[in-house]
This record gives sequence, structure tokens and C-alpha cells, in this order.
Amino acid sequence: MSDTEYFQEMEKGIGLAHAIAEADRCLLCYDAPCSKACPAETDPGTFIRKLRLRNITGAIRTIKENNILGGACGVLCPTSKLCEKECSATGISRPIEIGGIQRFLVEYGWQIGFKVFEKAKERKEKVAVVGSGPAGLSCAGELAKQGFQVTVFAERSEPGGVIRYGVPAYRFDKKFFKNELQDLYDLGVQFQCNTKIEGKAGSEKLLNDGYKAVFLSPGLWGTQRLIPGPQNIQGVFISSDFLAALREERFEELGKQIKGKTVAVIGGGSVAMDCVESASKLGAKDVYLVYRRSFAQMPAEEDERLEALRLGVHFLVLNQPVDYLTDSSGKVNALKLIRTQLGESDASGRRKPVELKGSEWELNVDIVVEAIGQKPDEAVDWSPAVKLDKKGLIVAEAETGQASSKMIFAGGDIVRGPALVVEAVQDGKVAARAIAKALSKA
Amino acid sequence: MTAKNIDLSVDFAGVKFKNPFLLSSSPVSNSAEMVAQSFEAGWGGVVYKTLASGRWPIVHPSPRMNPYHYGSTKMMGLQNVEQISDRPLKDNLLDLLYLKKNYPDHPIVASVMGFSTEDWQYVAKAAEDNGADMLELNFSCPHMTIEGSGHKVGQAFQLLEGFTEAVKKVVNIPVMAKMTPNITDITEPAVFAKKGGADAISAVNTFQGISEIGRDDWIPKPNIFGVGAESGYSGPAIKPIALHFIADMAKCKDLGLPLSGIGGIETWVDVLEYLLVGATTVQVTTGIIHYGYRIVEDMAEGLRDYMAFKGITRVSELIGKALPNLQETDHFDLERQGRAEYNYDICIGCGQCYIVCNDAAGQALEWDSETRRPKLIEDKCLGCMICSFVCPVPGLISFKEMPREWNRNETVVMDPGLEKELRYQPFEKVDLKR
Repeated sequence: MSDTEYFQEMEKGIGLAHAIAEADRCLLCYDAPCSKACPAETDPGTFIRKLRLRNITGAIRTIKENNILGGACGVLCPTSKLCEKECSATGISRPIEIGGIQRFLVEYGWQIGFKVFEKAKERKEKVAVVGSGPAGLSCAGELAKQGFQVTVFAERSEPGGVIRYGVPAYRFDKKFFKNELQDLYDLGVQFQCNTKIEGKAGSEKLLNDGYKAVFLSPGLWGTQRLIPGPQNIQGVFISSDFLAALREERFEELGKQIKGKTVAVIGGGSVAMDCVESASKLGAKDVYLVYRRSFAQMPAEEDERLEALRLGVHFLVLNQPVDYLTDSSGKVNALKLIRTQLGESDASGRRKPVELKGSEWELNVDIVVEAIGQKPDEAVDWSPAVKLDKKGLIVAEAETGQASSKMIFAGGDIVRGPALVVEAVQDGKVAARAIAKALSKA
Repeated sequence: MTAKNIDLSVDFAGVKFKNPFLLSSSPVSNSAEMVAQSFEAGWGGVVYKTLASGRWPIVHPSPRMNPYHYGSTKMMGLQNVEQISDRPLKDNLLDLLYLKKNYPDHPIVASVMGFSTEDWQYVAKAAEDNGADMLELNFSCPHMTIEGSGHKVGQAFQLLEGFTEAVKKVVNIPVMAKMTPNITDITEPAVFAKKGGADAISAVNTFQGISEIGRDDWIPKPNIFGVGAESGYSGPAIKPIALHFIADMAKCKDLGLPLSGIGGIETWVDVLEYLLVGATTVQVTTGIIHYGYRIVEDMAEGLRDYMAFKGITRVSELIGKALPNLQETDHFDLERQGRAEYNYDICIGCGQCYIVCNDAAGQALEWDSETRRPKLIEDKCLGCMICSFVCPVPGLISFKEMPREWNRNETVVMDPGLEKELRYQPFEKVDLKR
């Protein structure tokens, strides 16, 4: 596979024989614990039973009716922490490959041309969904299934939000997503791309424009910075720009900048891992992952961390980046670090890194990517109609997604902070139900 | 005793085999090249693929087989429409001579089929004259494309007796008759074969079956260019039924002939069960179609080790040993009752027992959704043990005999208030105690 292909496509999923063998291993539990562990109620206990009993179209229907992004979740879910963690088969040998089966079934449906959804009887009410990530798509799909006129506003040129622009294509590719998105088009969801709903009172404006309800799911596209305030240091990227550049297929241009260079990525989460992996695959000479805490404390999944190690990424743990050094042209040439030692536990229950006085040192670098946490986009301000918390996240009721203003709902990362795709899917569903209920009452 | 001292040899109708494992007459014994390989792998003998005179052409339908899969388990059963040998008789006889010359300690049983009395005699004589140590008369192929042959003969007892008699007149080697299972009572044709002079019986040939029907075209498989047929079904799926046929013949006092058991044999455990119900040799095809000749290594090693554990030195000591324990159901002691016993400590909490007990048994389990554990209400347990059949943990659920004074709860009547609407006159109960 060439570098280019590598950046466009993910690895193949499991096939029919493998999926059936896994379904055969399933214990078909009573009150299936895997189903209870799925945040989006995708119900693996039922779809695996259906596969086992050769009701393969029924299995696909179960997934897609419960989770319109069932394919994406099959690929992206950290299943070892969710459904597979609860799998009873672990008591015999190892968990059933639930994510693998789920992805297989969804792809198999595309292969045989099986359509789960047909257009519902139309209702006249219009609903606006702001943001086209997993929460927005899930909400839109659920409402469209009930016949509402749904318009999704997407800021970039294509829908998908974080799963289109925020994860590398080798983890979730465009071709796969296009197939999954087709269900939303089939249901009659309208997409308005290249449209940013911004500024004060954006959501109220939508209500005034005739939308009977608004669902806010813009995600978190702002980024925490190492050094606060405006900076323009050449060679320093923020993770969302870095990853989006890859997804907009600017990787050749980016590749030219990175090939043979020394890259440092700051952070220890999944996004940081995506960045180091991408930098490695783009041909960087050395890739450093700089993290102020320990290896074990990293929020990234274990398999992501191990994959980064396998790719030869140098893990510089217990090092706090403090400043950039630049050459005369304003281009970064070194990262100033200070070594840390773990001290007392902080509020999160993790031991806090304490800087070691006098241990400053400089790491020579050509490129730095900051992946130290996402936050709401500062260009957007949903207040005062929508109440925000002190982190700038939207305050919404957990059971309904209802924000502080009537007929405005919210879900996904903008409410939860950085969360899983499957959790965003559930937020969209929950809000859609509440919106449908509110509109049916009115 | 070590397994090394175990002698697996058997005397079968006067012919000595180094072990009881034989290829059956089928695609797996189609030529000397194949049979030689099987002997190298450890098979004790062969029933060579059915020879015919060549007067009538034999053509195999295409395709000729279809599997019956169960989930990801391949070939629980296998259906075929393969015919008897399509090779020239001369080539087959040359191959018999080759095997005789190169493997003198591996008996050759030649399967034969004729289409008239003279035809039967001609093929039988040719086989004997070219090295066969024994004959097997094919009265049982369920899908011959030549009308009135195969199991049609096996179902017409007079014919079967007549052809056996005719063959016996022209050969001196022992003659075995192969029975079809597509019949009600297998002892009837077997006894007719004996009357015709048969020295042994082999059973069973394949069952008439329909393994699969095309979902797009509704054509049963194997689909022979648009046509399917009920034809020979074999493999592990039919083993329990085949064992019953062997047991019936072994218990039949009028028969009293040595038996060669066939049907779904893959492992030494299958072999053991055939021996225990009265077979002296066993024959295998579907197991070889699935795994190759190599399975004989595990049959031999497994059986030897088992015999060593049991302190048994000769295969003959196992033959028919289960028969005294195999009775008509009216011999059961119905006074003795038991129930399931659970070892909750090793439970993994899948709850399959709870589902099946509710839906198919006595509703004797409660379910704790917090701890994910079943709890047995002992007095409601039917002792049917289906919970143990679905339980994935070996040894978790066992059968426990209860004291004679134990009373199982009666199944609850939904609405006893309906009694006033009841219209029936109860019988007096029959006493089951003898």
C-alpha cells in the first residue's frame, strides 16, 4: 500500500465466516450484559442472536434502527471498555468480537443492497441540527425516521464533523462513511454544508427562521494552547488543524513538510496518538510524544499507545513543555521542556506532575503538534439563550438534551466535553425523542 | 498396562484385520493409488469402491455432493449422488492385484453390484479371482441412476436373498451384505441375506435425504443442472440413527452374523460406540471426505489409550458390551427420580439455563439480575437436564438422584376457577409398579 492509499483507507473488517464463527461462540445470554453496556442501545445481544439464527438482514436492521451510525461505532468504539468488557464468554475464554461483528453486518448490508430505512410519512415541522458529527447525524436520522423535515448545518464542505475531519482515514475512511451517510439521505435529511451558525443568538435566529426546534451539536473545535494568547509560530500546529489537513487530502503538502523532519506531539490522549501515528506514516525522521505525566496515566487506549510504540515513536513522559524556541525567521527549532516527578493525587485522582527545578532542557524539533485538549470554538457563543458552564460547555438535561431555552436541545462533546462517538449517538437519539414529543404536544 | 501392548486386530467373518478401521466403498476407496495411501496412514483394510461388470455405463452426476453445515461447523452431514465405480472393471481388477501384491496384510473387501443374477455372479467371481479377500454386496445405494438397482434391491427382500445366494454359489471367500437404512426394520432384510448365505452384514448405507434447497431457484442440492433428487445423506448427523440399526441387528437372535458398522464415524469415541453395540469392524467415508485419511491415527491412538485405561487387551472384549444395558423403555425404574444440581461457584452468568428452563422445562429457575446468577427451586426441577445441555461450563450442572420420598411440585394450573366449566370423566389410574 502506498502512503497515499494508507492515508485514505482503513484496514478491511472481518468476513462472513469469521463473523459466523464468533456468533457461534456467543453464549446468547439472558438479559445480555453486552447490550446493557452499549451507551447507544445498539443491542449486540439481539443482533448476534439474529446472525446465529441466519436472520442476517434482521441483525443489520437491529443495529441500524438502534444506531444509525452502527457501522462507525463498529469501527471506532473502544469495545474492550464497553460491550466486550461485559461479555460472559470471557469466563470461558475471551470476549466475542462484537465490534468486528457489528462492522461486518453493516458492511454486508451495503454489499447485498439491503436497505433498513424507507422514507417516513412526512410531517410539516422543520428541525435544525447544528453540527454534522455523530450527535447531529443521530438526532437528524431519528427525527427523519418520524417524518420531520430536518436540515443539518455543517461548517465544512462535507458532513461528518469529528468522524470525517477529526480522525485519520486509516482509522475511519471516507468510503465507509459515505455508505453510512446514505441512510440519512434516503431518509430525506437535508445537508447545508459550508455553513457556520455562529455569533451570538445563532440558535434563536434559526427558531425565527421557521425551525420548530434546534439541536446543537457543534463539537469541540477550539484547542487548548501550550502558551495562551495569539501566537503565530511557524511549524507549530494544533491537532485539529493537523488532522483535518490530512482528511482534506492535503497530506501530500503536509508530507513534504514532515518527511525527514523531527516532530514533537504534545499530549497523551487518543488525538495525540492519531497525530504521532500520522507523523510517523508521513515519513518523519523522529517522532516524539511529549507528556507531562507517566505512560500509565495517559488517557489514550492501551492499544493506541502500544501501536505508537510499535511505530517507533519516542515517548518522552514526565516532561512538561514550557516554551518554544524559534530561529531568526520565526520558525520553531526547539521545544523547551522541564522534567517532572509524580507528586500527590490531584482532583482527578491521578498523581500530579511536579516540575523538577533546574531540569529544563531543549529538544530540537522542526514541527510541533499540540494535542492537549479540545474546547468549544471561541468564535461561537450560544449565550444568553443557552446557558453555558464555566468551561463553555452547554448545560443540558441528561434525560432529554433540553438546554436552558425552550425548543433548543444539545448533545455530544459540546455538552459532555470530549466523549465517545457512541455516547454522542445516544445524545442525538435522546434529544430527537424529546423534540418529537415536544412537537407532537404543540 | 501400557497402550503399546494393546492389540487392535480383529477376526471378522474369518478374515483377520490388523485393526477394525476400514475405508467404506465410496469416493475414498476409488483406486489403488488412494487405498495405498490410506494403508500407509494406518487403515486396517478397505471396502473397495463398488465394481460393476461394465455392461451398463456408469456416469457420475455433476456436481455430485452437497454439504450440510451447522453454523460454522462444516459438514455435520453430507449428501451425495455419486454412483458406483465409473472406472473400467479391468482397471479396478488391476488395482486389486496391485494392492494384494504390495499390501498382503491389508485385507481387501471388494464391493460389487450386478444388474441381473448373471451380472452379480460375473463381477463377484472377477473380484475373487483378482485378489479380493471378501465381498460386500451393494444392496443399498439410495440413488442409482440405473432403475431397479441399489437400495431398491435392498428393499425387496426376496431379490436380496436371491442375489446373495447366486453370488455364494460362485465364490469361496466370505460374503457380506450391505443394508440400506431406508426401511422400517433392518433385521428383516439382514435375515433374508443370511438365508441367502451371507457371512456378515454391513450397515448402514446412506439415508435418503434433502440437505439443502436453493433459496433463489428452489432447486434441491446438489443441483444437477436444474434437478435435485432425494439421495444419500451421511455424516455425524446420522450417527445416532445408524447406531440404532447396528444394535437392532446385534440383538436379533435370528441373525447372529458379524457386523461392520457404518455411519458418521470420525473419532475413536464413535468407533467405541459402534463396537459396544455389536460391530466388529467399522467403515468410514464422510469423516475422510472431511479430514482426510489421517484421522485413523487418532482413532487408533485414542482407542488404544482408552483400552489401556480400562485394562482391556483385545477389541473383541468390547464388542456388544452395551447391549445388555440397552432395553425397551418399559424396563425403566420410574420410582427413581432426580433433578439438576448446580455448582454456582463456577457459573459465568450467561443465563442460558434460565431461558431454556422457562421456555422448555419446569420454570424451576429464578434469576438474580444483579449478580447474574440462576437459582434452582429444587422441588420444581423436572430433572430433564436441558439446562446442562446449554450450559457452557463443564461440570456446573449435574444430575442428582433424589430420595424416593421426594415429591416434585405439580405444574401449576393457570386458573383453577375454570373447574366449574370442565367437562370430562377422569379414568382410574393404572399402577405403573410391577
